[in-house]
Amino acid sequence: MAERPEYTEIDHTADVGMALTADGVEAAFEKAAACMFDLVCDLDTIGDGWRGEVRVEARAEDLQNMMVRWLSELLYVFESKRVLLSSFRITEMDKGGIRAEIRAEIAGEPIDLEKHAIKTELKAATYHDLRIEEDEGSWAVRVIFDT
Amino acid sequence: MAEGHWTAGSHEMLRVSECVWEIPKTGGMRVPGRVYADDRLMKHILKEKAVDQVANVAHLQGIVGASLAMPDIHWGYGFPIGGVAATDPAKGGVVSPGGVGYDINCGVRVVASKLSLGDVRDRIPELVKRLHRDVPCGLGSHGAIGKLDRKDLDDLMVEGAAWAVRKGFGTDADLDHTEEGGRLRMADPSKVGKRAIERGLDQVGTLGSGNHFLEIDVIDEIYDEYIASAFGLEKGGVAFQIHSGSRGFGYQICDDYLEVMQEAVRKYSIELPDRQLACAPVESPEGKRYLAAMACAANYAWANRQVMMALTKRAVAKVLASSEAALGLRLLYDVCHNIAKLETHTVEGREVTLCVHRKGATRAFPAGHRDVPDAYRAVGQPVLVPGDMGTCSYVCVGTGATMRETFGSTCHGAGRVMSRAKAKKMAAGRNLEQEMSDRGVFVMAEGKRTLAEEMPDAYKDVTEVVDVMERAGIAKRVVRLKPLGVVKG
Repeated sequence: MAERPEYTEIDHTADVGMALTADGVEAAFEKAAACMFDLVCDLDTIGDGWRGEVRVEARAEDLQNMMVRWLSELLYVFESKRVLLSSFRITEMDKGGIRAEIRAEIAGEPIDLEKHAIKTELKAATYHDLRIEEDEGSWAVRVIFDT
Repeated sequence: MAEGHWTAGSHEMLRVSECVWEIPKTGGMRVPGRVYADDRLMKHILKEKAVDQVANVAHLQGIVGASLAMPDIHWGYGFPIGGVAATDPAKGGVVSPGGVGYDINCGVRVVASKLSLGDVRDRIPELVKRLHRDVPCGLGSHGAIGKLDRKDLDDLMVEGAAWAVRKGFGTDADLDHTEEGGRLRMADPSKVGKRAIERGLDQVGTLGSGNHFLEIDVIDEIYDEYIASAFGLEKGGVAFQIHSGSRGFGYQICDDYLEVMQEAVRKYSIELPDRQLACAPVESPEGKRYLAAMACAANYAWANRQVMMALTKRAVAKVLASSEAALGLRLLYDVCHNIAKLETHTVEGREVTLCVHRKGATRAFPAGHRDVPDAYRAVGQPVLVPGDMGTCSYVCVGTGATMRETFGSTCHGAGRVMSRAKAKKMAAGRNLEQEMSDRGVFVMAEGKRTLAEEMPDAYKDVTEVVDVMERAGIAKRVVRLKPLGVVKG
């Protein structure tokens, strides 16, 4: 079982959001994914027996676009495979070139409503009020989801 | 008249009349903003960033008249929820997926019946449990009617509600009582991505979660006898409401096209105050592709609600050991809340085709409008305005003023006033099921947090919202629906 990540749930009238910090850009992406799934279901109740890989393409030099594509990809895996994800390890992150690319190993557990208390459904990660900023090596991320 | 001026963030708000406020044009705004609210609702509106969002929408290329907000307006992402914006394609007007939202053609339908309160009063828990069983709900709900094959989904995307009727879910008469006949003709399945298709295959006929619901109501108040009778509604009669949309299929299409629009914004050098407003000219290849894909999702949502209605009718007939015909179960009307449509409107005395975005707003065409079905043309299209699960909902009708002032639109519901997080905190330690039961409403909720997030305290009073639209002369009340039983996703 994974540990629940530290983050702040953002008070937004219609939707739900998260604010988090991490050391390093890869760590920020990994933690954003963990926090997003923690919004759906407490991460410490999700196993990691299911393993997979994802590859996300985005526009180069556009971290906001990369973040939205990354989170969207994981929500797609969640809904299409019906798997709650709990572990995210970015193996490659290429921000240069014409297209940026993230490759990651992910793990989780098929949804079991007896075991997993679903807290909320996230329809999508939005660009609204999206922030991903570095300050002396510390990365601050803020994402609002449509629920 | 009370205060005539407010400051909201960086914007001024000037009172135009008792229930109408204007945000004057500043900076890159192409038109002013206009908000429908009275003093009480304005206090809620000013607490959040919704006014800035109304002003942001006014930046859209080709926007006509004003960026509008209905009284149920609240802070959304990109567009405010409760926002209406019409753009003129002939003048470079844009279409924005953010102006429709992820849940494309989220909407509501009301099913009327010959049942009276006495027929169901003691059967509500039984009915709710059966509906909860027969109409799949909750996160990622699926498998209502078996997984479709690709051919079926392609047909559904093109035919909309008619597909469901062809498959035995309802009758042709239902289509006549659905906005646009339950089908947008600009749908083109070749513009829908693989992932949307994958997500769409087994979610037809499912409610989903969040604010989606299935409700049993009693008509407890009639405001206009003549129109109520034209709608076939009587005091003490029982009705059913179904609120849902295009499920994961629509979310994926919105997501995919936001990406397309991010590129389009660069290509057409469009400047926007919020990336979530990403858009492309309606007449551009990107704009046309989005509208063709969005129409597929709109049609999916209509088919979805059509199937759910059929499942609901069957469940009710089963519990009451009767037949659907004997119970007089019939579709009153079906409206969409999240949509962009090409509609004909009169601007400065000329008939023009506009791209009307309604993001949390309802079409409210008045008496005599050619798109109102024959049965209602003398009185106007039924406008369905659901409230929170413990209070009430309204069936209204549009007035002539909607066509002059709001591009034929009105409010869509109560509108949230409290964040989901705050609602959960407020609900802690309370027995909401018991509280609802004390109000005479039997509730079954699938998600553990849904009940807390959706509790009545989290919403504006729908009566105040509808009252403002009535005082502004936009829509009038016809009947009130009081909830008896609710299934929440």
